[in-house]
Amino acid sequence: MADDIRSLTANLAHDPDSLAFLQLGEALRSAGRLDAAVRVVQTGLERHRGNADAHDLHARILVDAGNIAAAADAWGRALALAPRHVGALKGLAFLAFQEGDIDTALDRLETALSEDPSDPSVVQALQAVREEGARLEAEIRLRAGADIFAGFEGADHGLLLLNERGLVLGGALRDPADDDVAEEVAGYVAGAAREATRAARLLELGDWRSLVVEAADGHLHVSLPTPDTVLLVKRERAVPPGRVGLLARRAATAARVWVEAQR
Amino acid sequence: MSRTRVVEPWLAGPLEHFVSESGARLTLILTPAGQVLAQHGFTRAVDVMSAAALASGIAASTGELARLLEGGAFRALSHESQRHGVFLSRFASPRGPLLALVVYGYESSIGLVQLFFEELVTDLAAAAPAAPPRAPVLAADFERELNESLATLFR
Amino acid sequence: MTERLHEALDRVTRVRGVRGVLLVGLDDGLVVADAVMEGVRANAVAALAASLVQRLARATATSGIGQPGFLHLEAERGALLTLAVRERLMLVTVAEPGVNVGLVRLELLRAGAEVR
Repeated sequence: MADDIRSLTANLAHDPDSLAFLQLGEALRSAGRLDAAVRVVQTGLERHRGNADAHDLHARILVDAGNIAAAADAWGRALALAPRHVGALKGLAFLAFQEGDIDTALDRLETALSEDPSDPSVVQALQAVREEGARLEAEIRLRAGADIFAGFEGADHGLLLLNERGLVLGGALRDPADDDVAEEVAGYVAGAAREATRAARLLELGDWRSLVVEAADGHLHVSLPTPDTVLLVKRERAVPPGRVGLLARRAATAARVWVEAQR
Repeated sequence: MSRTRVVEPWLAGPLEHFVSESGARLTLILTPAGQVLAQHGFTRAVDVMSAAALASGIAASTGELARLLEGGAFRALSHESQRHGVFLSRFASPRGPLLALVVYGYESSIGLVQLFFEELVTDLAAAAPAAPPRAPVLAADFERELNESLATLFR
Repeated sequence: MTERLHEALDRVTRVRGVRGVLLVGLDDGLVVADAVMEGVRANAVAALAASLVQRLARATATSGIGQPGFLHLEAERGALLTLAVRERLMLVTVAEPGVNVGLVRLELLRAGAEVR
């Protein structure tokens, strides 16, 4: 690391007008030498005021130094120069998330994802923020005395939470004739979840995350929100499996909040 | 309450594991001569005696058939009806050759029974204590041993 | 059927991340045909996959959505995918985590057409 910094410093000294200050600033930041990093970036910015990457780096150094307000300004400047700058979008999303502004965090991350769909850090951040959003929503609903899945699409006919022994804990399940089939299906699904656990164990697949079944007239999505509960989502065939998966993730978060509140 | 009964304690663990994993409804482990060593699921002594006698007879007759056909011994036999499947297999153990008779229902399958039967054979081989010295079997001894075994199996 | 079926099974195994594919009897959980890599316990895959589908079939039928067609069990270190191909027969695939499920599904459908 020290050698890298020495060599990057030499590069910058050799060509002070170059963008070598970005690499040097990043190396100093990674090494925890924040004062030196700030000086390098500020000097670089004097020559490259219109460089969005430089403002993004400046902001990240400021965050590391605990200067959140100045970091927000620096990312704001980066976005003014490049409105779809992924680093600045991620940074501002992070700050919004820290302040509990989930919607703004989601907006920023979704824009970042549309700019670079292959960035795993954006994908992970988006998942974490969605999860937190769902958790907060669930807590609010719970405080208002609502059911586990109140407000969820299909909560009255296609969302069911059961324990590992197949007893219904919440939600509802109805067949196409509108008959209540929750208890009967809960028994079968608990058995299937046990079988999935056994199959995954014996086939050395590790813990299973989801079980998706496409049938002639609909889908079932089964998951384990907690080790001792099973979540079942049922949807019509026309609903894309990806959407069922998203709904299942949100419902699993709500289920976890509910289970936690019961303990 | 466990529905597994054994004449010798080392049989209990492997048999209980097999029954729980395979979903078998009834299981008998017996010697080729028909002496029952362990059972799961039978509730009446008379059923155990009949099943053991039949299993032993089927194993003997198919073994003889295999010998006539000169095709080597049959490893296992399997029959399925609408409600039940029956699996009968001869296997080697440190205590000599043994037979297993397994009856399973719709909640299991011959695939599952065969899969976990392989484990049962391995587990029994690992659990078996050294064989006791063998004494000649007299008819009177056999009758007494059989009665003792049945008493143990339905204790 | 045999040669074309084996060719179709081989095509499924050519999808990156697929460790094996089997044609399995749904009721007995026994292997009818297979193309699996070393280390894949074909009899265990067949028996367990059939048992899982059987159990889920009761759930789908009671839910009023019919019989399972395609199933995807996603786990930490891999996936199990099954496709019903004909009355009481199914194709089963074992795959690495992150396998392209859409592509496997497509190849299973093609292989399934050879079974019909």
